[in-house]
Amino acid sequence: MLKPVRTLVTASLLLAGSAVSAAETVKLALIDPLTGPMAAAGQPAFEHLKLEAERINANGGLNGAKLEIVGLDNKVNPQESLVQLQKAINDGVQLVTQGNGSSVASALITSVEKHNRRNPGKEVLYLNYAAVDPAFTNERCSYWHFRFDANADMKMNALTNYIANNEDIHKVYLINQDYSFGHAVSKSAQEMLKQKRPDIEIVGNDFHPLAKVKDFTPYVSKIQASGADAVISGNWGQDITLLVKAAAEFGLKAPFYTYYGASSGVVTQLGDKGVDRIYQINEYYGDFEDPEMAKRQVEMYEKTNWDFYYLRLSTMLDMLKAAADKAGSTDPKDLAKALEGLSIETPTGEVTMRAEDHQIQLPMFISVMKDGMKYGAEGTDYNFHKVAEIARDDVTLPTTCRMRRPN
Amino acid sequence: MSDDMTATMIRSNQRFALRGLVPWLVFAAVLLILPFIFTDGFSFTLMNAIGINIVFALSYNMLLGQGGMLSFGHAVFFGLGSYAAMHAMIAIDDASYAGEGFWAHVPVVAMPLIGMIGGGLVALVLGWPFCRRAGTAFAMITLGLGEMIAAAGQMFPSVFGGEAGIYGNRMVGPQWFGLELAQAADVYWFIAFWTFAGVLAMWAFTRTPLGRLSNAVRDNADRLQFIGYQPRNIRFLVFIASGSFGGLAGGMAAVNYEIITPESLGLIPSGLALLMAAVGGLGVFYGPIVGAVLVTLMNSLLSDYSDASILYVGLIFLSIVMFAPRGLGGGIEHVRTAYREGILARRLPGWIGGAAAVLLIALGLIIVIEMMFAGHGGGDTVNVFGIQFQAGGATGWLAGVVALVVGVLVMRATRKNREVNA
Repeated sequence: MLKPVRTLVTASLLLAGSAVSAAETVKLALIDPLTGPMAAAGQPAFEHLKLEAERINANGGLNGAKLEIVGLDNKVNPQESLVQLQKAINDGVQLVTQGNGSSVASALITSVEKHNRRNPGKEVLYLNYAAVDPAFTNERCSYWHFRFDANADMKMNALTNYIANNEDIHKVYLINQDYSFGHAVSKSAQEMLKQKRPDIEIVGNDFHPLAKVKDFTPYVSKIQASGADAVISGNWGQDITLLVKAAAEFGLKAPFYTYYGASSGVVTQLGDKGVDRIYQINEYYGDFEDPEMAKRQVEMYEKTNWDFYYLRLSTMLDMLKAAADKAGSTDPKDLAKALEGLSIETPTGEVTMRAEDHQIQLPMFISVMKDGMKYGAEGTDYNFHKVAEIARDDVTLPTTCRMRRPN
Repeated sequence: MSDDMTATMIRSNQRFALRGLVPWLVFAAVLLILPFIFTDGFSFTLMNAIGINIVFALSYNMLLGQGGMLSFGHAVFFGLGSYAAMHAMIAIDDASYAGEGFWAHVPVVAMPLIGMIGGGLVALVLGWPFCRRAGTAFAMITLGLGEMIAAAGQMFPSVFGGEAGIYGNRMVGPQWFGLELAQAADVYWFIAFWTFAGVLAMWAFTRTPLGRLSNAVRDNADRLQFIGYQPRNIRFLVFIASGSFGGLAGGMAAVNYEIITPESLGLIPSGLALLMAAVGGLGVFYGPIVGAVLVTLMNSLLSDYSDASILYVGLIFLSIVMFAPRGLGGGIEHVRTAYREGILARRLPGWIGGAAAVLLIALGLIIVIEMMFAGHGGGDTVNVFGIQFQAGGATGWLAGVVALVVGVLVMRATRKNREVNA
């Protein structure tokens, strides 16, 4: 009586087993805000990864294995991220990626490091695509963490190199959010400008509460009164949108050099007010000349309604594929080894994953918001247009990392 | 009162005390059995989070449910207790590296006590001026306090570690009971012990004269003053006790997550405490436990199934506040009272009808919400409990509306059952 049942079970088990071995999949878990108010930061990354995974899989996958993207919602909460990390590990995921919030990145780095030490043979790799705290590739560097975005200091290095060569700028105003990141931006801006262009005067150094200011007019009038001819700001989210909006309404002429001027939503909300006013330092800009890139850009917007903003996610997957093919394996230990010092060619030039600190080395671009662009961002006619390229050697910074490698 | 009566009372009290033991034995048994049912790493991670939230929600209910003080800043005690425990853990790490000093002899499993002291001290220092009034004034002040401490957390990186927070290692110092605390499964026993101890202590608190007085100050502060107690003093003492247990939960979190960031001081975790307590029921002691289990599971699992997960959490909160203000715990208590009075069989049909109606309405709402989300977010099919609907297709909308209408009809049809028997 039970026999047919048993054969059925065995057969289905065998079937399931063979299905797994026929198309081996490697899962990459994105741990980022996918619901709630911050979803606009995580969803475009999720869609971008899924789209690019299709391309990777069409080109042979990771050493033959199929790449699958899993989205896990962390609500930008460090504790919840660790719960999600455990969920991923439980489901056999050994590659995780995250970008939004240095608090979450900090939790993931320490947790992955401990997990790998406590569970040899089940190592997990953490691929960081946007958490920019310089500490993660300096005093807190970890063998299992790889950063595919320039860190905050490298961005400032690139930005100040550009400003140093711009003879029109004599007076700089700093305005940042009043928390650790904003203070770090302000500090490195002051140090680097002093070193590269001692004649530049810092005419103001303001900190405003994080995500609380609705009307920036008092700050803007202070900037106006100071006679600044450039403003540097690490602001993100509503703090950059409202700041630039207030500046436009006030009639402030000085341009804003920003880290996150092109993040999703800013273009739509600023519209005409951002044109020629908002500059961004990034590894990418909107009106990319590369036709292949332009095609992917349009394809992504048509398919997902999100812009192709994270070129570094494509770079990350390309490097992952190169490492897997080089190592002939998708085991995280082999991948980590192969990623160290790996160089690949990207549409913006050659990029290298520096072995000493696992910080990517890449060229960066200053771009400015323009109207009437061929490929508009967020379905508008506005997008970011290249102003200058900062060569890789002018972006790079030394590291204090003393990497502890597993033997 | 005659001696005879007193004797009967004592005897019935003893019987009562013995019967009172039963829930605790069940609670301990559940804590002991759980790890043998759920054996994978993720279940342990979830159970640990639930344990922490149980203590957190109960400590919040000491204020709101028992003391009648609506607080929007309870995470301050949780967070600062957690920071205290984390700094202690780092001290243990440093001291055991050097091999000497006081901290080298403190085990990590005692960290919740450090958190408790931390949370209690903070409440002691800050609480006095707040406790003069309950109600709106108290709510506003705690809201301000929460925001102030959360902002300060971002501004003093030497103590709070800036955005990245501070982190430690729990596998340091002397080991107790052979608990290595490497895996989530090890940590479970640590969490289970402190959850049990915390719940027991908080229940014991409700039985003390102070616990009784806190109910009195909630119900009628003026009358309490007439019989010679200062409401402010009572509130202050309850505030300290509640802060201490909040800190206890924070200390558990420090060991479990090994990281604490300034965000955990802010309004969102404070709101979570309110949510858990209210969903579970403010008027019943074990209500917040039910709420903590449900809300933690929803927070960590719901977003796997739906993009609208946060909306559902909000809807559940809203409907409980509007239609079942006594929460889930209140519902359980209803059934229990009916059972004890022997009228359960008479009341059951009405309740089952009501439950069926609620389930149908919920199903209808879920289908409609998922259809709306699919319309704006891209997917082709909508999957509701295994049933596939075409996104934007008429069947899905129809099914949703039918479920809603049938739910309302069942609700109306069975209303009589519930009223007649009431």
